[in-house]
Amino acid sequence: MESYLSMKNISKTFGVTGLKANDNVTLDVRRGEIHALVGENGAGKTTLMNILYGIMQPDSGTISLNGKELKILNPIAANKAGIGMVHQHSRLVNEFTVAQNVVLGAEPKKAAIFFDNRKAEAEVAAVIEKNRFHISPEMKISEISVGQMQQVEIIKMLYRKAELLILDEPTSILTEQEIQRLFDTLRELIKRGKTVILITHKLSEVKDISDRITVMRKGRIVSVKDTADVDEREISKMMVGKSVIFDFAKGEEGCRETVLSLEKVSIRKKRQGHPILDNISFNASSCEIVGITGVAGNGLTELEDVIAGLQKISSGSIYHNDEDITNISPKALRERGLAYVPTDRLKRGSSLDTSVKENLILTSHHDFMKRCGVFDDNKISEHSRRLISEYKIDGHSDVPIGTLSGGNIQKVILARELDNVKDFVLFSEPTWGLDVASSEFIYEKMLEMRARGVAVVLISSNIDEILTLADTIFVMYRGRLVAGRASGPDLTREVIGEYMLGLKDDFRGEE
Amino acid sequence: MKVNRSDMFVTAIALLITLSAAFMVMLVMIFIMSETPGETLFYFFAGPLTNKYYLGNMFNSAIPLILTGLGIAFAFRSSMFNLGGEGQVYAGGFAATAVCLAMPAAGAFFGITVSLLAAVVTGAVIAGLSGFFKMKWRTDELISSFLISNALIYIVDNFITGPFDDPGNNLLTTSKVAEQFWFNKIFPPSNLDISIVFVVIIAILAFFYLFKTHQGYEMRMCGVNPEFARYGGINVGKYIMLPMLWSGALHGLAGAVYVLGTSHACFKGFSGGMGWNGIAVALIARNNPIAVIPAALFFAYIEAGAESAMINADITIEIASIVQSVVFFLITAQAIYNFLKYRRKAV
Repeated sequence: MESYLSMKNISKTFGVTGLKANDNVTLDVRRGEIHALVGENGAGKTTLMNILYGIMQPDSGTISLNGKELKILNPIAANKAGIGMVHQHSRLVNEFTVAQNVVLGAEPKKAAIFFDNRKAEAEVAAVIEKNRFHISPEMKISEISVGQMQQVEIIKMLYRKAELLILDEPTSILTEQEIQRLFDTLRELIKRGKTVILITHKLSEVKDISDRITVMRKGRIVSVKDTADVDEREISKMMVGKSVIFDFAKGEEGCRETVLSLEKVSIRKKRQGHPILDNISFNASSCEIVGITGVAGNGLTELEDVIAGLQKISSGSIYHNDEDITNISPKALRERGLAYVPTDRLKRGSSLDTSVKENLILTSHHDFMKRCGVFDDNKISEHSRRLISEYKIDGHSDVPIGTLSGGNIQKVILARELDNVKDFVLFSEPTWGLDVASSEFIYEKMLEMRARGVAVVLISSNIDEILTLADTIFVMYRGRLVAGRASGPDLTREVIGEYMLGLKDDFRGEE
Repeated sequence: MKVNRSDMFVTAIALLITLSAAFMVMLVMIFIMSETPGETLFYFFAGPLTNKYYLGNMFNSAIPLILTGLGIAFAFRSSMFNLGGEGQVYAGGFAATAVCLAMPAAGAFFGITVSLLAAVVTGAVIAGLSGFFKMKWRTDELISSFLISNALIYIVDNFITGPFDDPGNNLLTTSKVAEQFWFNKIFPPSNLDISIVFVVIIAILAFFYLFKTHQGYEMRMCGVNPEFARYGGINVGKYIMLPMLWSGALHGLAGAVYVLGTSHACFKGFSGGMGWNGIAVALIARNNPIAVIPAALFFAYIEAGAESAMINADITIEIASIVQSVVFFLITAQAIYNFLKYRRKAV
């Protein structure tokens, strides 16, 4: 079949570092297919797509669409050529409605200057209707879920008449159900003659949705295959160059002494129908990984904040080693030894404009004083050198952490939090958006923590992660725990899925 | 891939472009308004450097600007806005004067110490109030510091023209403080006094405090990313209050140093511009305490240039001020733009 999009011999080197992000890359995409572009973080997928979308210019190479050679100087030119991109992180304005966000930059106008909101809503409604989305154009972005935000991003591109859609890691922040809905949307779009390039590193999804696969590694194309001809293990092998084994042996049941305990923890807000957290009780013991899962919007985020001491609870109590720590300050909690790897790495877990070194001492900066509160610079540098090598962080200690890749930022956070872990650690969505190798690294660390007798709480909407690692599994639904069971062969993906959707509830009617 | 060095390069280029633009505007204005543009230009640029008197005075007028610039930099570093600089300088200067007038016979060392202390405390309390309101009721410190300061200016005015007015002087001013409290001149015949040495030391200490100490680290983390700081167990509330206290203290000190070093009395409106220009100085210095020194000198230079052109060439005081304002305006606009860009990223 003839190619629709053809990127030929694309090369891109980054200035100061001399890193070859794309090295003579040639990509062919056929009309009407879902083409998966897979590879680890830093393999060059996003760079290649940024070049296609005009965000970056290649050092050499050509791009042609429909047999016509194109110079894509910026995203506006890309839009004009019928190329649309949905970024990994949503770039929507929270205070605006769906319709306002969709038309942003291409607004319908009244009398040439005034924004025509009614027309915007009507036009956007038409796009939504035509492509069978389930979303209302008048809703504000702050009122909709992450999955819906992604739909809005897609609608935004369709509104600009995109024929070729690029989706960068669209599923990393979605729940199982939202992923399925997204895939339905994509299939629908294909039926209407659109073409999709999907950047991802979740192999099960690649198998599930794509027609063809291009695998990248270290800036080069390693392989192009029809999806039907390969299995997940082969793809993974091509991606990392070695076979990844996902079977982590769960440890023996060991010490088991209660470290952290929540009793009937609730959060109620005025004007909110049901409590945000409703009578949550569970224990986390030493040598144990407690996994808590659920669909986004069911209280996982709030539970994360409560355990981290960043959100006060309305009723109930929390104990650490049998001492009441209900509603103590984050500072006091840190002093008791909390280690915490947060969901929001970029805003909460790190300070992007601050150096790696200064990011690494956030929780331990009290330990680096000479006298009178003056820092011992040598000790700090040594500390950061040690952690950088121990956690294999690819980055210099004096550069702002924001210049590092996502995987390396997460490693900095991990290094900081796990280096002086005492007896409990909270992980929240520790691997989303990360590649196979980084995820594996984090899983190993988590198991290492458990082996050292630490109580590990893992909050994750990734069921596979929970099933692989957790000894005890809790499921949240509408702010309540609806299941709490030891992991075992009877607790399968499907069963957990039923709990997550509220189809099953072990604790209904209990007090 | 973002590279920090290229970021700095862009900033430097931008500053250069702004400076050249300001220079061009100035050229055009002088050519339009002056009969003898060549002469005017000469006095504008070279005037402050032609003799000891001008040169010394230029350095002298940088002294309070360094202090107010530092005061603002401290607040900005913690993402706090102190728009009350004018009032804090004024009240600080007045407090220093009042203390000196109250004990005309005291020893120099004791008198100066107490008077500086009074100024520092006065400034700190005024700015601290805004910090306290923010901590307690989330009042926007930008508004409250401005309002409090504006009200204070009238109160101090009232003291100077009322109970403290020097009856033997036709100007609206207090009496002069006793001579033993005056700072030593170090560059006669100019007004430049010994305090410049201390001010430079304070700038270096401020740098050290911000970047090399435990408290400075916590303060900066609260400034760049409060959520990050809170997450890491830093008491964020403390760093709403503390930077405002520092900021106010430095402003108060600026007032006292001006009174004891230069004017020797507190005359009505002496602080005019010191607070606002401190903001511009901090912005140009990108809140780096060391960079505050050259930034303040630059401001002083433009001011001295305008004055020298006015005295020696044919432009009037109004035109000199207009030229000066255009330069300040352009440079401050550029610096503010950078600052807002940075703040938006951080928040």
